[in-house]
Amino acid sequence: MDLTTTVSVDQENSVARVGLKGALNTDTAPEFEERLQKIVAEGHQLTVLDMKELDYISSAGLRVIFKAAKQTKSAGRRLAAANRKPHIDKVFEILKALPDMAVFANDEELDEYLDSMQSKVKGD
Amino acid sequence: MRNSFTFRLILLLSMSSALIIAAAMTIDYRLARDEILDRLREESLVTVRNSISDLENMLDGVESSAHFMANFLGRQDLTEEQLENLLRDIVETNVDVFGAAIALNPELTSDEAGFAPYYHKAGGLIQRKNLADGPENYWSQHWYTQPIAAGKPVWVEPYFDELGAEVLMTTYSIPVYREDTNGAPELFGVVTADVTLEELKAYISRLRLGDNGYAFLVSGEGAILASKADSSAMRNYRDLIYTSPEASSWERAISGSDQLEDKPQLVQCPHIDDKCAIRTSRLRTTDWPFGVVYSEDELLAPLREFTAKSTILSTIILIIMVLSGTLIVRRLTSPLTKLAIAVDAIGGGELRAPLPRAKGHDEVARLIRSFASMQTDLRSYISSLEEVTAARSRLEGELTAAREIQMAMLPQGGEAIEKAEAFNLWAKVRPAKTVGGDLYSYYRDEQRLYLIVGDVSDKGVPAALFMARAMSLLQQQRANLIQPEAGMSLLNDALEQDNENCMFVTLFLGVLDLQSYALTFASAGHTPPSLLRNGVANTIEQDAGPALALASGLQFSANTLQLQAGDRLAIYTDGIDEAFNIDAEMFGMERFNQRLAAGVDEAVEDAGIGIIDSVDSFAAGTAQSDDITLMLLDIPEAKAAVSSSTDQLSRSFKLDAQLNASSGEWLEHALEQTGVAPDIIMEMTLVLEELVTNVRKYAGLPEDAELTVQVATTGNSLILTIVDGGVAFNPLEDAHRSPLGADIESAEIGGLGVHLVTQLTDEQVYRREGDQNLLRVVKLLQHD
Repeated sequence: MDLTTTVSVDQENSVARVGLKGALNTDTAPEFEERLQKIVAEGHQLTVLDMKELDYISSAGLRVIFKAAKQTKSAGRRLAAANRKPHIDKVFEILKALPDMAVFANDEELDEYLDSMQSKVKGD
Repeated sequence: MRNSFTFRLILLLSMSSALIIAAAMTIDYRLARDEILDRLREESLVTVRNSISDLENMLDGVESSAHFMANFLGRQDLTEEQLENLLRDIVETNVDVFGAAIALNPELTSDEAGFAPYYHKAGGLIQRKNLADGPENYWSQHWYTQPIAAGKPVWVEPYFDELGAEVLMTTYSIPVYREDTNGAPELFGVVTADVTLEELKAYISRLRLGDNGYAFLVSGEGAILASKADSSAMRNYRDLIYTSPEASSWERAISGSDQLEDKPQLVQCPHIDDKCAIRTSRLRTTDWPFGVVYSEDELLAPLREFTAKSTILSTIILIIMVLSGTLIVRRLTSPLTKLAIAVDAIGGGELRAPLPRAKGHDEVARLIRSFASMQTDLRSYISSLEEVTAARSRLEGELTAAREIQMAMLPQGGEAIEKAEAFNLWAKVRPAKTVGGDLYSYYRDEQRLYLIVGDVSDKGVPAALFMARAMSLLQQQRANLIQPEAGMSLLNDALEQDNENCMFVTLFLGVLDLQSYALTFASAGHTPPSLLRNGVANTIEQDAGPALALASGLQFSANTLQLQAGDRLAIYTDGIDEAFNIDAEMFGMERFNQRLAAGVDEAVEDAGIGIIDSVDSFAAGTAQSDDITLMLLDIPEAKAAVSSSTDQLSRSFKLDAQLNASSGEWLEHALEQTGVAPDIIMEMTLVLEELVTNVRKYAGLPEDAELTVQVATTGNSLILTIVDGGVAFNPLEDAHRSPLGADIESAEIGGLGVHLVTQLTDEQVYRREGDQNLLRVVKLLQHD
């Protein structure tokens, strides 16, 4: 199984949205890591990994996300996951991975969050 | 024989004797030879001197007689008759004087023919002849003229006396002078005394040196007076010696020396083969050469005789010494030879072989006595050994019978196999000695299966007897064992009675409901059982009471265990887990569980024998320390509610970049075929990915190497096995695991895979089999 990633950036709110489709496993992790590193390096305040169409993740894939989370956190920015399927969720659960990572169950929750963040910015 | 002690001793003694005798004889011979030689030469010299002396004495006597007459004649005027008487007396009284004559100067006689009476011996009588009557004038005879010419007495050259006695003779003639009226000397006459050559020869021939030796006498003019052969008499010696090649030697010898020399001259001579010796001298009286010729070899005959005698004597002494040496050595060593033969016989098992008699107290006698004592000891030792052996074989026979009886107490005689619809059971007892204290038993009571395994303290006969007691009590109490904990108390009280020896027994007593597979069991200090489920074996935790028979009124707890299809329950005694190898390491429960798991695919009896074989090979080189009992109980799959068969698939994959994708796809497909739920498929695919990724990273294998993936599904479990030929690597222990739930800032990146594997599966077992890593994970399947 392959992995397809789509990236859309909301420059105004400094949010990068990375859509994952397929499997994030040993074979696909290296390429994804390269891609994600670039996005993280762009310095968006928030990077959202949209896993709506991600069917499979292995420890190799988690390692890439783990690395990105660590980098964004140390830079004072955030990495979030959205739309995790139950079995993907289970893997995250097992590994007690990213306990303080923002997780959005679906697009609505994400939109809400983005709106609130936007208004916060505007309010500031 | 050649190498025997006797032979060597005799040889050495003989050789040394021969050397000593030869040396002694040689020295003795050297000394004796010189002495003998000197003595013989001295003797010969003395002999010759004596002969010369005799001859000289004789001639002196003759000369004296002549001088006597001459004195008379010169001083006194005698009548003719008185002269005749004087002559007769001289010849008669003097044995050496053959004849004597008084020849007066014819110028003074009245008779013209002169006066010359001559008396000589003839055939024992004295005969008278008148020389004046002869055909020739006596005063022209040389015996008359020579002394007158010389003016002194002379020995006349030998001649044939034609006028007188008509024999060969030599004459001593003395001229007698008287003073005439003017006082001038005037020849009065000549007095003679004769010696025959016969007489001289008689003297000469008395001198003999050896068989061929002879003496000779030569006159002043060289005529041979006496010699070896008569034929040579009166001949000039030069006529004889000039035919000899060594004439000069002879000439020198005869004419040379005046004195008898100490050493003889050696010349070549007839009659004598080898060098002959010649000694010469001259007679003092006549100045005639005199000599002896003899063979030095003949003279030295006594020396040769001495040499021969010495040699013979030496040889005889040597032979006697060798013979006596041989006798002595044989006498000394014959007991040794006999002893060797006897000891060979003893060594061949003939313990009563007679030894030679020990005489005296020498080394050989002591040796024989030692062997005799050894023989006695050996006999008594062997006879007692025979008794002990007989007793032991009797005891062994009894023990063998006891073993048969003991085994007959156990179901199916010590090794049982029972295959029923609801269970498969295999059990075996193997005592450490001929008999032992371990026991097992099982029996069915409608829907219950009773399982009993026990171990009496100690081993051997005491344990066996107590075990027999325990077995009969179990038999008696059969009906009361439905509740194991209560049954255990009953058995304890029964066994405790009259147990003076304080024997005790550990016991596993289980009751299995064959409907529900619920096992209730009680343990009296017994080794906990192990359960093999889904390829993984674990020791069951139990609440165990004390061992039986030590105190009365003990209480035991009931343990329960829910068995399920595919389970294998192992009940065993401590003879297995407490088996020691030569390094004093214990087999242990962990090793037992591993071995139990390894036999997961084997039939129950093969698995059981396999485990016991493993214990044996582990403890190889040591004696079995304790009785061994193993009971295996299988719950067959056939009784399981679902999926009666085991599907197993296996495939190999190269360790290349496609490994993850291809193995994942294969597994997904395989599990879909067997109808496994999709979420399980995904989880197992994830587990597989983590495992093969580990192999690829850590096995140290090239990309063209392969690993094998096996997947098996039973009714309620899914077993995934990965086999690879890489370096020993147990990901369950060796792989890095990062701590979970850490704060992201301190969390490590990576080390997550094994967490996933352990969390997503129910059992994980790693085993190194030969040069392969084998990792097996089991996922329990939930059935609706």
